[in-house]
Amino acid sequence: MARVLLLLPTKTYRAEALLRAALRMEVSLTVASEEPSTLMSANPSGLLTLDFKNLQQSAAVIADFHRRHPIDGIIPVDEETAVVAATLAEAIGLPFNSVASAMATRDKHRMRQLLLQGGVLTPEYSLYAIEQDPTTLTHQVRYPCVIKPLVLSSSRGVIRADNDAQFVAAFRRTSAILRAADVTGCGQSGRQVLVETFIPGAEFAVEGLLARGHLLLLALFDKPDPLDGPFFEETLYVTPSRQPPIVQEQIVDAVRQATIALGLCEGPVHAEVRFNARGAWVIEVAARSIGGRCSAALRFGAGVSLEELVIRHAIGIPIDSLERESPAAGVMMIPIPQAGLLREVRGLAEAKQVEGIEDINITIPLGRTVIPLPEGASYLGFIFARRSTPDLVEAALRQAHRCLEFEIA
Amino acid sequence: MEQNIKITAEPVDAQRCRFKVDRPVYAGGAAFFGNRERAKESPLAEKLFAIDTVTEVLISENAVSISRSIPDADWLAMAKQVGAAIRAQLQSGIPAVSEKHKEKLPSSAELRLRVKDILDNDINPAVAGHGGFVELLDVRANNIYIRMGGGCQGCGMANVTLKQGIERTLRDAIPEIGEILDTTDHASGHNPYYSPSK
Repeated sequence: MARVLLLLPTKTYRAEALLRAALRMEVSLTVASEEPSTLMSANPSGLLTLDFKNLQQSAAVIADFHRRHPIDGIIPVDEETAVVAATLAEAIGLPFNSVASAMATRDKHRMRQLLLQGGVLTPEYSLYAIEQDPTTLTHQVRYPCVIKPLVLSSSRGVIRADNDAQFVAAFRRTSAILRAADVTGCGQSGRQVLVETFIPGAEFAVEGLLARGHLLLLALFDKPDPLDGPFFEETLYVTPSRQPPIVQEQIVDAVRQATIALGLCEGPVHAEVRFNARGAWVIEVAARSIGGRCSAALRFGAGVSLEELVIRHAIGIPIDSLERESPAAGVMMIPIPQAGLLREVRGLAEAKQVEGIEDINITIPLGRTVIPLPEGASYLGFIFARRSTPDLVEAALRQAHRCLEFEIA
Repeated sequence: MEQNIKITAEPVDAQRCRFKVDRPVYAGGAAFFGNRERAKESPLAEKLFAIDTVTEVLISENAVSISRSIPDADWLAMAKQVGAAIRAQLQSGIPAVSEKHKEKLPSSAELRLRVKDILDNDINPAVAGHGGFVELLDVRANNIYIRMGGGCQGCGMANVTLKQGIERTLRDAIPEIGEILDTTDHASGHNPYYSPSK
């Protein structure tokens, strides 16, 4: 029986979906997290603790484990574990992304360098240390610009500025976020920001699977809410895309070029792309599948989940079909409207009654403090919809969201 | 056997559905099959596992419960296949669950004692380290109903603890256990040890 190593940080939303897929496939499963499980001694081949920030030590632990319990595939769920997975795969000789390519997806500066070198349309950028005085930098900046940490994810710390005053304020705010964030293990990258040109246009997300360097398209999502700043909160993802085929081809082709430029060759890929009159601009490429609980919006062939596809690919089991199911599907990441204590959620039953709504998960427990972007990085929950067309899916998601009331004080 | 077997689908959620049958399917017992391999002791479970995406089958009294890997609000297509499998089994006259399977099972009372002993002595002292606990709510035939509380309720790693820790411990110690049903309302957990956020 093949063994899969899942790298699951304790804060991931992905544990349940990946475990369900692995158990359905009847593979042997080892879950590694950065904190010890309370029941680790009960299942030493099934539960491991790895220091995700100490790659050398993690590689030694896994090399030893691999001798006793051979591992056939490794699955990361975020940018940090993508680097860990590449390191572990190299240590035990599994085909995977190189460590350098995985690291490039985690460090936005390195990513921009490689994308430019590879001829991929990507924003112009400058690199600054957070210790620098932003008032001395304004003469170098072209507006509108976007200030972006190199190592944080989910748009955390990403702020648009249209003039000198906004730039200085945004730079200081992003710097403060980085000083407060847990970016240990990121070296100098944890104390630097990119200042890059704002790219106007509609945004899209591409979900793909790399097999020996070939990008297989799994889904192209429209992001119908404008992402023009000052913060870049993701809300709606709807697939299939409503763009003309020629536009879709350009978007996917840009991601294909980007994966080549970055040197990625195996496993899931999630990319963010902007499209305007000049073409498809690659904003981000991550060596992982779609984040949060959004994968529940995707099904393939006769109902196979994204997680099952990823596991199958990782252990070399043939995949019957990569074709997404015929109904349109979408997900809304429910934004946090204000900071405070989440006291009550109203309208859930009514929202679930909206035609096409498949499920609504409120993922923040009542009584918890919620923090919106750019300081925060989580959502109140997720709304899922399926209907015959993308327009109907989008309408259902918006209608369900309107039914929900969040009391935050 | 008469042809008109009435079966009513009662969806529990997008992944679980109970099919109530108008006559006994497995009189006086309950048999859980968590994978295709274990289904060899039940001709009905074997038929049901042949349906794509079925992951678990519970046959008890006059009902059959199905879990599937992919959530879908619409059960219609699968319900037709499940109904056909149940009807074919009942019409064949062959027991849905073999005698061999029944003979292996401990009594509910014995199972309750053994599960409680493992929860009290092995599992709860460990999960208490994260402010959590696991309680045994009920034993029906060889199926056990548990609930996770404290730091386990709503925890982002609760599923890992359940599948890789609790289930593994219980099944290693008591292989005759049928289904392990987690009845926890994780959405109502107010103090999860790990809150998912990415």
